[in-house]
Amino acid sequence: MPHTGRKVLVIGLDCATPQLIFDRWVDDLPHFKAILEQSVYGELESTIPPITVPAWTSMVSSKSPGVLGFYGFRNRKNYSYDEMYFATSQAVKEDRVWDILSRAGKKSVLVGVPQTYPPKPLNGSMISGFLAPDTNCQYTYPQELKREIEDVVGEYILDVKKFRTEDKDDLIKQIYDMTENRFRVVNHLLVNKEWDFFMFVDMGIDRIHHGLWKYFDEQHRKYEPNSPYKSVLKEYYQYVDSLVGRIVSKVDERTVIFIVSDHGAQRMDGGICINEWLMREGYLRLKNPPREVFPLSHDNIDWPHTKAWGSGGYYGRLFLNVKNREPQGVIEPQDYEKFRDHLITKLEAIEDENGENINTRVFKPQDIYPQVKNVAPDLIIYFGNLSWRSVGSVGFGDIHTFENDTGPDDANHSQYGIFVMKNSGLPRGKVSHLHLMDLAPTILRIFNLPVPEDMEGKSII
Amino acid sequence: MQPGCTVWFTGLPCSGKTTVADLVAEELKRRNLRVERLDGDIVRQSLTRDLGFSKEDRDKNIERVTFVAKLLSRNGVAVLVSFVSPYREARDNARRETTNFVEVFVAAPVAVCEQRDVKGMYKKARAGEIKDFTGVDDPYEEPLHPEVLLKVDKTGPEECRDTVIRKLEELGYVPALSTVADQMASLEEDEVYSQEEEEKIQRRLEDLGYL
Repeated sequence: MPHTGRKVLVIGLDCATPQLIFDRWVDDLPHFKAILEQSVYGELESTIPPITVPAWTSMVSSKSPGVLGFYGFRNRKNYSYDEMYFATSQAVKEDRVWDILSRAGKKSVLVGVPQTYPPKPLNGSMISGFLAPDTNCQYTYPQELKREIEDVVGEYILDVKKFRTEDKDDLIKQIYDMTENRFRVVNHLLVNKEWDFFMFVDMGIDRIHHGLWKYFDEQHRKYEPNSPYKSVLKEYYQYVDSLVGRIVSKVDERTVIFIVSDHGAQRMDGGICINEWLMREGYLRLKNPPREVFPLSHDNIDWPHTKAWGSGGYYGRLFLNVKNREPQGVIEPQDYEKFRDHLITKLEAIEDENGENINTRVFKPQDIYPQVKNVAPDLIIYFGNLSWRSVGSVGFGDIHTFENDTGPDDANHSQYGIFVMKNSGLPRGKVSHLHLMDLAPTILRIFNLPVPEDMEGKSII
Repeated sequence: MQPGCTVWFTGLPCSGKTTVADLVAEELKRRNLRVERLDGDIVRQSLTRDLGFSKEDRDKNIERVTFVAKLLSRNGVAVLVSFVSPYREARDNARRETTNFVEVFVAAPVAVCEQRDVKGMYKKARAGEIKDFTGVDDPYEEPLHPEVLLKVDKTGPEECRDTVIRKLEELGYVPALSTVADQMASLEEDEVYSQEEEEKIQRRLEDLGYL
């Protein structure tokens, strides 16, 4: 039964991975272990794509990316070739759980939740997420909060400053500094603000996975045995464990605590150069093929001879050049579906450098979302089911690359993150079939508020 | 929210109702609208499989389909109905009952339909093997004021599709493509970053591997 007068704390750990927390390292994470023994927990299925944007917003709005109308950080603004926009808080047109709680008179405190910059008014306080350009900007609501937290921690750290670095010691220090800074602010706000709903997201686990996964995973192509960094990931998880344990010990039994991640992580086997592949298959033609590696420039594309182009990231996005839709479209609208199906078949047949099929999965937005708003990619691609990333640059002369076009990266995202719910009154134990869109309706039920009919997830209470 | 509508394709057997309605459905889906198809051959295998082709049964058939179209169209779905529906009275009843009714007369001379005869039904009707076959020994009452008249013996299916879509846009039941473009253009008003900040964010997200 839902209780009134209850409070909710959501601890968001971007990229926290169930295989590591629930299984591999559970005995070395004493606080997590104790929390799991008293909680409902399980793997949490993410959105397609399982990326910070749109996943966190899907979680707190219970709307899929198609309904939200953004499919990643950067989206096409229209059907022109080059106009893009970042999905900031302005792009979020749907209610998030704190919008509903604000209207119901409940107070919320938010720290570092993605897609909250620029900050918008709510009944409570917020420190926006890492899409704020820097701390000179107005990144809090209300304005005075900025001063208050800077008095507590000095400079507030939005994100690691220099991620692409071979100086691993420096990277590790930056990640620890950010996490320490974030938890200090959270601990301050937990006790100094009045709140019914408190949610914060720390990015440290995501950053350390991407920067240092290869040192602990023997299966990784670039695994270095006996590296001095072998234990770095585990030690960092232990650090987060101690910080989480401290927070959990501070809140009373009336507060339902969630510990969640927006997706998990897995080793990265390499990159598939999506535009090199399109060129090889004859779907993309460049005016001047580059002799060295270069980002794909739209000005260099021979549009009348191009049917498709792609972009890079942890997942691939493929766009089609359709007549009467794109400025110089060539695919006849009536051939659109046929061509998409044809491309899917070919993409799914992509092999690694040894001729082994890598198990690529391809999605049509119209098949996976109840609605497809704004301009979605024509195809969403998980190369090697996300064990390969998508590389957008051209000039490799090959479709496989083992050096990322923008710098080193060890890990890719995986479809399942973590879900832990303590003090809910439900029988403790491991559960399955949880989706991150179930979180917002579950929170509303805890507050005894009606769940809007258009929320796509369902309350688990 | 999208306004619901009931687009009713009527015409002789084998005139091309299903073909055109399917093409219209495809186009509406491409525009991300909610679409449902109710096609004679399919509905008669389920919802109305107990009914034959007497006048009474034909009326019952259309009555049930009208009921389903009514529920869907009033809930914001574009319902595309393709039935011979030979009787004016039954179609007029559907017009009264459903939301935003659009009658599409798929017009072709009997001789043209008979030539197509995809299922060999005309042949059987001429041979007397089936009775009450519209166009052979059962009447077809042409619509008097259809919203759309498709002369399918003179125009191809794609052109027919475009004619129907244009009418739906004109009536405001389907947003015009230019409106869709306008909605997207409104995104441009949300200027969050200066150009310098935008480049900074872009670089940071590239470094983090997101882009």
